[in-house]
Amino acid sequence: MTDDKDVLRDVWFGRIPTCFTLYQDEITEREAEPYYLLLPRVSYLTLVTDKVKKHFQKVMRQEDISEIWFEYEGTPLKWHYPIGLLFDLLASSSALPWNITVHFKSFPEKDLLHCPSKDVIEAHFMSCVKEADALKHKSQVINEMQKKDHKQLWMGLQNDRFDQFWAINRKLMEYPAEENGFRYIPFRIYQTTTERPFIQKLFRPMAADGQLHTLGDLLKEVCPSAIAPEDGERKNQVMIHGIEPMLETPLQWLSEHLSYPDNFLHISIIPQPTD
Amino acid sequence: MSFSMEEDEFFGEKVFQHYCAEFIKHSQQIGDGWEWRTSKDCSDGYMCKTHFQIKSGTLVSHPETSAHAQTCLPMEEALESPLDDSEVTETDTATEVIKYEYHVVYSCSYQVPVLYFRASFLDGKPLALKDIWERVHECYKTRLLQGPWDTITQQEHPILGQPFFVLHPCKTSEFMTPVFKSSQKTNRNFNYITSWLSIVGPAVGLNLPLSYARAASWDE
Repeated sequence: MTDDKDVLRDVWFGRIPTCFTLYQDEITEREAEPYYLLLPRVSYLTLVTDKVKKHFQKVMRQEDISEIWFEYEGTPLKWHYPIGLLFDLLASSSALPWNITVHFKSFPEKDLLHCPSKDVIEAHFMSCVKEADALKHKSQVINEMQKKDHKQLWMGLQNDRFDQFWAINRKLMEYPAEENGFRYIPFRIYQTTTERPFIQKLFRPMAADGQLHTLGDLLKEVCPSAIAPEDGERKNQVMIHGIEPMLETPLQWLSEHLSYPDNFLHISIIPQPTD
Repeated sequence: MSFSMEEDEFFGEKVFQHYCAEFIKHSQQIGDGWEWRTSKDCSDGYMCKTHFQIKSGTLVSHPETSAHAQTCLPMEEALESPLDDSEVTETDTATEVIKYEYHVVYSCSYQVPVLYFRASFLDGKPLALKDIWERVHECYKTRLLQGPWDTITQQEHPILGQPFFVLHPCKTSEFMTPVFKSSQKTNRNFNYITSWLSIVGPAVGLNLPLSYARAASWDE
């Protein structure tokens, strides 16, 4: 029987084979070859694409280069969303590799946050971690930690160090002995069909009678259109980290094992693929 | 109207919406421009206001005045007091119109309101954070540096999905709790949104006319 801890490793080490191509209207001094890379599902685009940037900048003049940004089939990719979430939401029904277009001009100010340095990614990541702990523990666990522990979470993510990261993160996954779980579950539900970027609400891991809430309970409460109708063909897939967990899975377990490093469950609702 | 003051629900979404509704009522009475917007897919919403700021730079050649005079006026005032032709000899006028948008959105994670804002020129070109800071009045800059927030950062608006600047909310309840407690002692009608916005707003160029304070003490 697989240990639950193995799930943590599988989630951390998930990768997406990606092909980066330079946008055709970028001005180059010679032809730019596509660049292939395995992207970590749990990281962020601007954190793991230094090599991509260097590769394309080699064939461009300095004056034609400004802030890098990425796009998939015309949609600017939000670097502040985890890579795995972007893929599941936008490209999981297409064949691999994931084809991403690289831009160096005409930054879409209305769609994307700027990412001038790694510090901005760190600030965003830590802000998500803190928000998740506000929900789980009224911020008590994160506030009790020292600055060096916060730094260790970030360094663990940045350097792909599972053990370094989880040495600290396990504290964020604990709860008082007298409780059966977190205060509220940090989650966000994404659908490309809605104007709103995501749904996030207060939701407890268990009911008043002590019964553990399931993934199905969560969806029924905050996003009922996702799983209707109950009989017959389901119109949508409910995906986390590229898999469809059973709707009977307890939400508390999902939060402890399938959260991203920012401690949020990022859940994609996507149309069933038509084979 | 009293609300359950359990710690859990101190400032729940319904309470937020109630205070916003009261705030907007007064805004409508004085023409201050705040309105409520609901998101298409959901029952929740946010409060927003757009205002245009004209900044005119005129080089005045009259010997007694300073060589460079710059005024920053809200649009209404600019229209009310036109420049007298005889007073000013304009050698060069650079008029800048900036559109500011302020959104008050509820954070269920921190159970407090959060101020989102952005600014752009009329052609749509957005202002960077440093451009916005430059246009904040000096006295508020000091407050901003001392203020009970970590930073202003660029973040995605949770309902619109577009980039906005945000005052980080995690310390809000820290500075609002004493305000709320003292309002309970004096038995005045208290509007959380009015008090909160009057503290955080000016640091980012948003001012509230004093009449909001008087409105908050009306009996309901």
